Parts: sequence; structure tokens; C-alpha cells
Amino acid sequence: MSTYYQIFGGKVNVVSADPSNPIEGQIWYNTTTELLKYRAIAPAAWASGGNMGTARNELGGAGTQTAGLGFGGYAAPSSKNNTEEYDGSAWTAGGNLAIARYGLVGAGTQTAGLGFGGYTTGSGNRNSTEEYDGSAWTAGGNMGTARVYLAGCGTQTSALGFGGTASFPTPVNPTEEYDGSTWTAGGNLNTARYGLGGAGTQTVGLAFGGTTTTFVSNTEEYDGSAWTAGGNMNTARRQFGEAGTQTLALAFGGTTGANTAATEEYNGTSWTTSTSMTTARKYLGGCGTQTAGLGFAGITTANSVATEEYTGAITPVTRTVTAS
Amino acid sequence: MANKNYQYCVAECWGKGFITNNDSSQFSISGFPGNVWQVPANNRNANIWINGIAGVRKTVQEAQAIVTEQVQIAQAAYDALPADDFRKTQFSRPNDIVLPE
Repeated sequence: MSTYYQIFGGKVNVVSADPSNPIEGQIWYNTTTELLKYRAIAPAAWASGGNMGTARNELGGAGTQTAGLGFGGYAAPSSKNNTEEYDGSAWTAGGNLAIARYGLVGAGTQTAGLGFGGYTTGSGNRNSTEEYDGSAWTAGGNMGTARVYLAGCGTQTSALGFGGTASFPTPVNPTEEYDGSTWTAGGNLNTARYGLGGAGTQTVGLAFGGTTTTFVSNTEEYDGSAWTAGGNMNTARRQFGEAGTQTLALAFGGTTGANTAATEEYNGTSWTTSTSMTTARKYLGGCGTQTAGLGFAGITTANSVATEEYTGAITPVTRTVTAS
Repeated sequence: MANKNYQYCVAECWGKGFITNNDSSQFSISGFPGNVWQVPANNRNANIWINGIAGVRKTVQEAQAIVTEQVQIAQAAYDALPADDFRKTQFSRPNDIVLPE
């Protein structure tokens, strides 16, 4: 068996205190704690966040991991109008949506949020938009096509909505652009689908996954006027959580026919499988970035209140070598 | 006796801190219906985590029974929906879940 010395040409440093600024790959033995330690890039990880107040599914999400927004959704027997705000630790109640709905889209931030589309129990598909100011929702402009299970991205004053279904289960492909007051037509998706994910901005958008008549994995990139093909996801799925931008996107959870916990990262060209969520679920909410994502609520076998926080593989950490 | 790959416990996720980044990056944690959690067997860090969350250890058979009960409740609720219910057309029937040893 080779020794550390034979492989690396040097001995492990023996120190009485951990080095203050170790570099990646550095290894040492701490005589005080009697532990063998090393510095490594931590793999991507999901950690539990604070539980939501209202268990539900198919809700909208916006904001960041430490300033998130979850609103609307469904919990039997009807659509919900609740809004909750996340501070990185706990969810607290915000102002209610004027129109309870599920299968809607969220965009923007916790204090400048946007919700549009969706379905209201007993009323059907919605084309209405609501704008959040951090405490209350007010009406915005109506979309041209009322639909549910669409995707979107962008900000409160520059948003994008695309895909979905206007008559379930037939998918649609129209894209609409919002300027803060009015929706206008953009370039159509090449693949009509619903239950898809969206990320990015109005002029640099991303559409991925969803359902045509089957689960699909294809990605499309928007340049402000037209959609072009991007790399395929590894796991075809729908009704998942998403976050990030066109070149740094994150997809997690959803259904492939069965609930999945699979997580994938997009780099502008291809999707790479990352660390899975701890609990497989579908119809969850999502927001944040590729390196700091947030997934919340959704369905396991019942509606969930659980929140999970994603940290990408970027932060070096000191680890202890254990025999296990 | 065959080696077991996983061990199971039951604990209610209280939220922030229940699973930390450090936990998640050191060993795999999978949640199942009924507050059932699966972690690697014979893993020091996983054992520390179970103790830290006051998890009640279950055999795979006991854990399976808890999960199956929850799945059956969800399947019964799905089956009780009218065939033309809008929700029934969109949701697939909850799948059975089989926990590995």
C-alpha cells in the first residue's frame, strides 16, 4: 500500500491549531484536537429551511434564498391566496393575493414581486397579473392568453411569461412580455408545453422541461424576440422548482411520473446533475440563484410545508477525516 | 445476514437546522412520507445526525409500514375524486414506495 509520503513526496503537517487560511487540498493533523483534517470544496448540498405556515402546492415563488416570496397555490378543497415571506430562516405572513389561484408564475423580488396566470377553483384559467410591494398586491395588466402551468422570469417591470395550457391538457406556445403595465406578444416557444420551468430575464430567458403529451427534457433560450434550442435536461420532468439565469440555471424536484428529488444545473450549454433534494416532491415553489436556491412546499404524498435551501459547490470547507 | 446499505428513523422536520449543509454534504439524507428519513448504515456522521434530531430508529420493515400507510391514504384520497374532477386529470395517482435495505 502506498503511503502519503510516497504519493505526495512530503509528510502531513502536524500542527497544534488549524491553519487560519488553508488552501484547497491542504491536509494537516491537529495535535490539540487529535483530528486529521483537510480543506476541500464542499459538494452542492440541500439543507432544511424554516417551515411554511400553510401547506400547499402549485404556488408561485420569487426573490432570493434569504428574501423569498411564496404565494397562491392549492390545498384542498380550493385555491389559496396566502402570501408568505422568507428571511433565510422563517416564513411570515404577507398580504393576500386579490385572486386565489394555483399553477401561477412568480417573478421579481420579495418587495417588488409579480404573479400572473394560473387557475382559480370554480373560475378557470386566469389572465390577470398582480404586483407585490412587500406588503400588498395590486392589479397589473392582463395577459393576452389566460393559462395555467405556464412559466416565467424577469422582474416586476420587465417580465416574461411563456407556455402553459389554456385548455388542459393541450399545451400552448405563446410568449408574452410585460413592461410593468401591459403584456405584448413575443416570439413563440418552439415546443408548446406546460409544467415547464423558467429562468433569467425578459431579454435573456430560459425555458426547460415540462409536458407536451409526454415529459420533455428540451431547453430553449430567449433573446428578447426568439427562442433557440439549448442543451437537454438529464431528467425529463414537469412541475418542478427552478431558479437562476439563462447561463446559470437550477432545476429541482418535480415529477417524472413519480416524484423526483433530482437537481440539475445549467451553464448556458448543458445540464449537469447535482446533489438531489432531501425529499422528492412535485408542484413545489422555487426562487433564488443557481448557487443559492430555495425550494418550498409542494406534494410528497400530501401537501408539504418543508423548505430546502440549496448551496452550490463553491464554498471551501475544512473537513475531518473519519473512519466510517 | 446481508449487509444493510441504509438505516431509517422517524423525526419531524422542525425547519431550519434540521438538516444542515454540513450534514447534507457529508452523507445522503432522503425524506419519505410519514416523517421517515433514510441515511447510510454504518456511517458515523449519519448516526450523529439521527441522535441530534432525536430520531426514533426504525427497522426497514417498520419504516416501510409507515410510508405505505401514508401512500395508501393519498391513493385513497385520489381514488375518491370524481373521474371528471379537474384535479384528477392533472395529478397522477400516488406511486407505491419501496424502501431499500
